[in-house]
Amino acid sequence: MKLNWFTRKGIIYLPVSIIGWVIFAIAFAYAVFTFVDIDKRSHSVSDTLINFVFNLLLIGLGYTLIAYFTEKKPVQDAFEK
Amino acid sequence: MKDQDEFLKQMENLEVPDVNPSQHQHMVKMAIMNAGRSAALGLWLVIVPCYFLLCVFMYYQFHLNANWFSAMFSTMVQLEKVPYIDYIGPLVLFILPMVCLIINLLSIIHVQVRQLDPERRKVWEMNISIKLKLWNIVLILISLAIMLLFINFAMTENISIKN
Repeated sequence: MKLNWFTRKGIIYLPVSIIGWVIFAIAFAYAVFTFVDIDKRSHSVSDTLINFVFNLLLIGLGYTLIAYFTEKKPVQDAFEK
Repeated sequence: MKDQDEFLKQMENLEVPDVNPSQHQHMVKMAIMNAGRSAALGLWLVIVPCYFLLCVFMYYQFHLNANWFSAMFSTMVQLEKVPYIDYIGPLVLFILPMVCLIINLLSIIHVQVRQLDPERRKVWEMNISIKLKLWNIVLILISLAIMLLFINFAMTENISIKN
């Protein structure tokens, strides 16, 4: 099944379809929600950032895993050119 | 219509190069996976265990108590309480580097096994070719180091508990 939801630029996956943008928006919204949630409970800026970094890495990992399996394959690009 | 006929005629009269596929088979060495894609995913797969190890190193080696380690540890404990993803600890710290190792190995290694002589059936030749792709090799080495560290940790922990 062809799923062309994302395209790869270096190590970053960019959305190229509506579903891709929806997944990106969900990941972004979840990251913002996590940041706000952590910020409520933290005592300082550094405390917020320290707690947020690991969550952000996990969100990025999840997003990249989804994008990896649904990206436009390089072979398809070669055939379309 | 005329153009189409002319085009068809031209195509029919094209001289096709005579290629023997059996000769070229020995020269084309395709890896199973794409090197660029594997490197991109591999980086994300090892970045979390690397962060974990960096925090542990900073905490125990430099006694840097900046809450990095405890913040990460509390996130892991929180995630373990969530049903269905309670196995995220070993998954992130051991299985993801293993996946990174496998996909990067598959993207740079080409293995070919063939019979040298049809009369001597027991004689086989195995060729292993490794593409020198810097990022894939670096990621393989990092994944190996992470896995060896965790195996080493598990073994020493097991021995110390028994004693």
